[in-house]
Amino acid sequence: MNEKDRKSRKIKDGLYTIFFMFFITVVFISIISFIYVKTRSKIKLNEQLKLKRAILFAGNIEYDNSNENDILDKYSKYVKEIEVENADNYFEIYKDGAKSGYVFLVTGPGLWGKIDTAIGFKQDLKTMTGIEFLKQNETPGLGARITETWFKEQFENKVAPIEKAVGENKEAGIKEFNAITGATSSSKAVMKIINKSAKNVKKRYDLMEEE
Amino acid sequence: MPTNKKLFKDNLLKNNPVFAQILGICSTLAVTNSLKNTVVMSAGLIFVLSLSNVIISMIRKKIPSKIRMMVEVLVIASLVIIVDIILKAYLPVISRKLGPYVGLIITNCIIMGRAEAFAITNKPGKSFIDGFSSALGYSYVLLVIAFFRELLGSGEIWGVRVLGDWWINWSFMVMAGGAFFMLAIFIWVVKGLFIQVEEEGSA
Amino acid sequence: MNFLSAFAIFFAAIFTDNILLTKYLGMCSFLAVSRKVETSWGLGLAVTFVMTFTSAINWVVYNYLLKPRDLEYLRYIIFIVIIAAFVQIVEMIIERVSDVLYASLGIFLPLITVNCSILGVSLFMVIRDYSLINSIAFGLGSGIGWMLAILAMSGIREKMKRSQIPNGLEGAGIALIIAGIMAMAFMGFSGILTLS
Repeated sequence: MNEKDRKSRKIKDGLYTIFFMFFITVVFISIISFIYVKTRSKIKLNEQLKLKRAILFAGNIEYDNSNENDILDKYSKYVKEIEVENADNYFEIYKDGAKSGYVFLVTGPGLWGKIDTAIGFKQDLKTMTGIEFLKQNETPGLGARITETWFKEQFENKVAPIEKAVGENKEAGIKEFNAITGATSSSKAVMKIINKSAKNVKKRYDLMEEE
Repeated sequence: MPTNKKLFKDNLLKNNPVFAQILGICSTLAVTNSLKNTVVMSAGLIFVLSLSNVIISMIRKKIPSKIRMMVEVLVIASLVIIVDIILKAYLPVISRKLGPYVGLIITNCIIMGRAEAFAITNKPGKSFIDGFSSALGYSYVLLVIAFFRELLGSGEIWGVRVLGDWWINWSFMVMAGGAFFMLAIFIWVVKGLFIQVEEEGSA
Repeated sequence: MNFLSAFAIFFAAIFTDNILLTKYLGMCSFLAVSRKVETSWGLGLAVTFVMTFTSAINWVVYNYLLKPRDLEYLRYIIFIVIIAAFVQIVEMIIERVSDVLYASLGIFLPLITVNCSILGVSLFMVIRDYSLINSIAFGLGSGIGWMLAILAMSGIREKMKRSQIPNGLEGAGIALIIAGIMAMAFMGFSGILTLS
């Protein structure tokens, strides 16, 4: 091969390389985008279900976890979303036709990042109906155990502000709660979030506490 | 060229990516504190490794040598994205628990390793077996580790409490150190067995 | 207030949230290279450098290009392409600019592209929804933390050349046990700082 042939070969190889890279990238990105578009609505539905589940749980309303329709059904029956300008919307809970409480979306600092919660209060804006976590990044196996059912359910009927953390297997009074062994920081972070929300919601949403 | 059966068997035992080559333990050890998460992760890995081997093998003759690694990464990353999307759509809770570790399958040294070592020079059929069996071999190591970590660390298997109230959780098992130790012990036991078998074989 | 949280994230990334010892990332090269302290320095510095810059670049790309267009799902490909490109460019620059630097750092660069910790840092920063400053602090801290772990590891392994190790544990086995003990040691740092 003489100089000219070698040069044109090099250019051909270069072009082929670029073309190949481009082509294969397009092929793969197309496949991915196709799958994404097909599943997008399902993913959005999952997000919505997650939020609705959380509101129901925090508002202490029973639902069938494995039944999507039940969740949507219960939500539309018992929950009313109130739009707020410049802040997160909040939710009113209705039982037997009358307003029985609220659920607020509250975010606070955890050990490793933000913790997004839904917290439910009765009309007095002090007594809790429940708490659910929407997003948290605590230590798996330790801090992340705040999402365990026993930890969440213990807050039913506790009265904010919560004052003390006690050991996992001890008795906890109405203003105390059981922290997770080995995850005191994450447990206390939850307590702080609850207290902060109880303190702020009256002013932020212009609500009146009722017995 | 070993037969398909021998290839399969070897990848599970002698050439098991984890003990023989210590490849790719990185990311996946993180999810071994729960058996359920490990199963999902393993499924994802088997899917990605098998398919990436097949795809790379199918186009191996057309890939310009300069961009070989980039193409491999592209194939692997695409497959992982697909796994991620499907998890988000159909298993959203587990997807959240696995977090970034699904994405990290891309940098998992085994997949690149098999692509370079096998898929790029072998036919698709054999490459599939190689990928599938390597992933399988890797997975069962993870599953054994996960079994012990979950059992000792939280008294549960698959989220179901198995050990009675008398059991005090070995929280250590749930943390990073526990995973390292378990893997070390596993390698020790297996290597010990191999050495025994070899010695008996040559005696 | 912003700087305070960045500092906290920085220190946490080095000690209590160490990318290798608590998040299991970056082990392959760690196990293979950590036999000599010198090589560990070089690799550690290179990793820290790439980690810090790529987390910044990836943050910008994710928040200004991908998110507004609803393309977050492509982040795996985009991030790793950016990392690979960055490493390539840096390698080329170093090669031209300084022979000395190239001789000590340059050879590690290709190894870094597939280092899970670099991609990991970018992915964690997205999941934890960090701001730009926090992401850079996180990247820098993670790199230093990784370097700390690998230096300690190679120091220990050099010393262990004379020790007797049971047959089955040679190589990876003992390295993992050392990693496990180090992970325990680093756990002792938790509680020094709390984010509030």
